[in-house]
Amino acid sequence: MNRATLSLLTLLLICALSLVAAQQKARKLFIEIERAQMEERRLNQEALRLEYDQRTLSKSARIQDSARNQLRMLPITPDRTLYLKEVP
Amino acid sequence: MKPLGFSTSPNLVLRLPMWRSRLMLFLLFFAFMMLLLRALWIQGPGNAFYEAKAIKGTQRELELSASRGKILDRNGQVIATSLEAKSIIAYNDAVPDDLAPVKIRQLAQLLQISESELRKKLRDERTQIFLKRQVEPQVAQAIKQLEIPGIAINTVYRRYYPEGEAMAHVVGFTNVEDRGQEGMELSYQNDLAGHSGKRKVVVDRLGRVVEEMAILQLPQNGKDLQLSIDSKIQYLAYNAVKNAVEQHHAKAGGAVVIDVQTGEILALANWPSYNPNDRRHLSGEQLRNRVLTDTFEPGSTMKPFTVSAALEKGIVQPSTSMAIGAKFLVGPKPITDTHPYGVLTVSQIIQKSSNIGTAKIALQMPPKDMWDLYTAVGFGQAPKIGFPGAVGGTLHPYQKWVPTDQARIAFGYGISTSLFQLARAYSVFARDGELIPLTIERSLGLKTGPRVMSAKTAIEMRDMLELVTEQGGTATKARAEGYRVGGKTGTSHKLSGKGYSANQYRAYFVGLAPLSAPRIVVAVMIDEPTRGSHYGGDVAAPVFSAIVGETLRTLHVVPDSTVKQMALKDFQIIDQATPTISAQKVVMKQ
Repeated sequence: MNRATLSLLTLLLICALSLVAAQQKARKLFIEIERAQMEERRLNQEALRLEYDQRTLSKSARIQDSARNQLRMLPITPDRTLYLKEVP
Repeated sequence: MKPLGFSTSPNLVLRLPMWRSRLMLFLLFFAFMMLLLRALWIQGPGNAFYEAKAIKGTQRELELSASRGKILDRNGQVIATSLEAKSIIAYNDAVPDDLAPVKIRQLAQLLQISESELRKKLRDERTQIFLKRQVEPQVAQAIKQLEIPGIAINTVYRRYYPEGEAMAHVVGFTNVEDRGQEGMELSYQNDLAGHSGKRKVVVDRLGRVVEEMAILQLPQNGKDLQLSIDSKIQYLAYNAVKNAVEQHHAKAGGAVVIDVQTGEILALANWPSYNPNDRRHLSGEQLRNRVLTDTFEPGSTMKPFTVSAALEKGIVQPSTSMAIGAKFLVGPKPITDTHPYGVLTVSQIIQKSSNIGTAKIALQMPPKDMWDLYTAVGFGQAPKIGFPGAVGGTLHPYQKWVPTDQARIAFGYGISTSLFQLARAYSVFARDGELIPLTIERSLGLKTGPRVMSAKTAIEMRDMLELVTEQGGTATKARAEGYRVGGKTGTSHKLSGKGYSANQYRAYFVGLAPLSAPRIVVAVMIDEPTRGSHYGGDVAAPVFSAIVGETLRTLHVVPDSTVKQMALKDFQIIDQATPTISAQKVVMKQ
């Protein structure tokens, strides 16, 4: 009788400890997934920000300004354009 | 005598009354009963209150933010996007009352508010309060590192518009709550807006999420919207209008470019404009989308429709000659032309923009025939293109017209329209008499629409419109190098008070190109030009020319007009760069 009680008590103790351990592990994993999700959001945002920066740098007004003033380019005119047509 | 023990001394026997011990017993019993009842209450019926208290300390509902959809141009370039901005929130029930003064000072510095203001906010009765909206990410990070319990960082989105002023009237903008206020942001609010979600979480002492209990509502991001607008064409239209307004010291200007094959609006530009990224000091003048919301008397740009109605009914032919004269009396005030003409053909009436000629043609028709065509091409009805505030102008019912009205409406007075309606109406000539539906959304493929005039009339009118831009016409400045263009000028007196202003004008040009196979319709309006000429042919036609040339080249439309033969020496580089294309397959167009 005493032996049976003792073994049940031990089993209970083991179960309780493993529950605590499992919970601890679950929390750790949760924090990890939260962190990963946060990172995903951050990277998405960075991608959007870079896309925006690229767009700001490539907007027509800036290109025109650079082409005319820095590179001294001239607008194309039909008399200086060669049109190619593929013969079917 | 037997000595008595201390405890057995009869003198020392204490006889207490029985009730005292009973009372004591009862009081103890009562106290234990009270404790038991309290315990039962806490475990039983009173449990909810304590549970709520416990949950309040550890559980929280957090918002899962959803982003607003992007707006893209026809080539997929971003013209409106939402970027994250951080907001600082205080959960006042979790912020300790004895927070170290040094932390308060640091937080106040980071938030750029005074310490007293911060203390006031932290003592606020509301449990959740915004300390500051839209802070820089670095500031948010620094606040996070302070590790103050109850101070949380929330993510909100801010809208950015990379094209700035050039695209302002098309995209519009959103307010602080991320709701569309103008332009496409307003029209497509329901599609663009996302729906934020909610989740229940367990937090620790420092307010960090340690466990997710449930997702109460999934967040839903807004849909992206792709417009028919081409950023490049939009920019050059905007630039051309802006330059013309500045050059002619005008009050305002607008232009619209339509692809007549797909019905897509390629550009819609207004000046004055505003920067949607910085909307301080905004005025109503800047906000007005003149192309769609301003109506005006179209003046001579109306003449092609009057003449088309007459051609359609067989009343005149393009070659029919008519005596014009210096004055034509209809009603109390005579109709005049800028120059007196003797005899003109119908084609020349359009080419020279003769008021008298147009009025004489109009008066040969029943008013209904004119009215029917005007209505069929969309005058007097608001265009349905999903733009907020698009107006329809006025076209009075023909039953109310007296001959004076009929004669004046024929050359564009006594009728009002928006520049957009005018451009749409001209698409009929470009599409051989069909009125195609227009759209601001990307929409590929050739569109068809109801026929409002015969192809023969539309083609005849195109030929007349080309004459306008040729030698002897009113708009030689509308010519675009390399392309055959056609169009009509317009100059109208502005209404002021009860009559027409003597020296305030609006100048227009509406036209199509390339004439051999029309691809675009461009309408230009310059409001109150004050420096130099005020005529449409001098003010608006050059804007048309600039927009048409650049737009057609952007769309890779091959020139249909003779261009100066190029000197081969200019193209030596081509000879070196052609090995990839078989020499037999290449022919030069011109």
